[in-house]
Amino acid sequence: MKLGKSLRITALRQRASLMRTIGCLLVLVYATSLPGSAQKAGDSNPATAVRALENERVKAQARNDNDALDLILDNALVYIESGKLISKGDYLLRVKSAKPPLQQIVLEAMTVRTVENTAIVVGTYRKTDGKDGKSLKRWRFVDTWVNKKGSWMLVAAAATPLSK
Amino acid sequence: MRTLILVALLASVGTSASYAQGDADSDVEAKILATEHMWGQAYVSKDPKALERILDDAFVNIDSDGVVQTKAEVVAEVSTSTIVQFLTESMVVRLHGNTAIVTGIFQLKGVDHGKPFAQRERFVDTWFYKNGQWVSIAGLVTRIGQ
Repeated sequence: MKLGKSLRITALRQRASLMRTIGCLLVLVYATSLPGSAQKAGDSNPATAVRALENERVKAQARNDNDALDLILDNALVYIESGKLISKGDYLLRVKSAKPPLQQIVLEAMTVRTVENTAIVVGTYRKTDGKDGKSLKRWRFVDTWVNKKGSWMLVAAAATPLSK
Repeated sequence: MRTLILVALLASVGTSASYAQGDADSDVEAKILATEHMWGQAYVSKDPKALERILDDAFVNIDSDGVVQTKAEVVAEVSTSTIVQFLTESMVVRLHGNTAIVTGIFQLKGVDHGKPFAQRERFVDTWFYKNGQWVSIAGLVTRIGQ
């Protein structure tokens, strides 16, 4: 009788240990199945998060908000426009020193493709004169975003004018 | 003990899947730059097979007129290339884990319908480490001085 009770206790302990192991493994399987870059709360869809950041970048640029841009742009950002290669520092300096009426950037269509922790955005934008809203040149751009420690950072941005 | 081994094994699988690379940064940069050179030479030798390996299937390029090109379109362009010389300069690689950004300038010379042409353009390419090799996933070319 005593032996039977002891066996039951051992069996219960083994079952509890097995349950703990399974629980532990399930947590780990879930954790490792997440992309290398964890998303911020509310930004569960990487494409949606990157699209929102593209819009935020344009708005921040329009209001000369270098603090907001600093959070989005990677320190090693390369920016190419009009055939010129510009660093993050030069880009921020340009935004800071821009005086109204600024040329406004109007984002048009864009597509976002994500590959693990990297996102490629291809789209078009047009620049309009800040004074009369008249449309100026249209550009095609490709931006590269990399998720670093849970935040999407712009590491490369390039644009070329549309010839037609 | 078995639990610990399983946990360690699972954790190691997770990390190796997200970034499987043992090379030093300088080796990676050299590999990518060599592939960039190969890419340029493919235009001279009209070798579309070289580009098949270098470009990701979902590769997208923006040419200097702002036209979007797929991998198939770029490969087709190489097959009918009229470029006789392709030189690169000022190439720089910036690594971001399993992603790399290459900027540089290329100069090309060729003959199109009997007329010689020369172009000097700036480019930016995005590379991604996939299935044990670096492949280009996006690129853009723009004229200098526009």
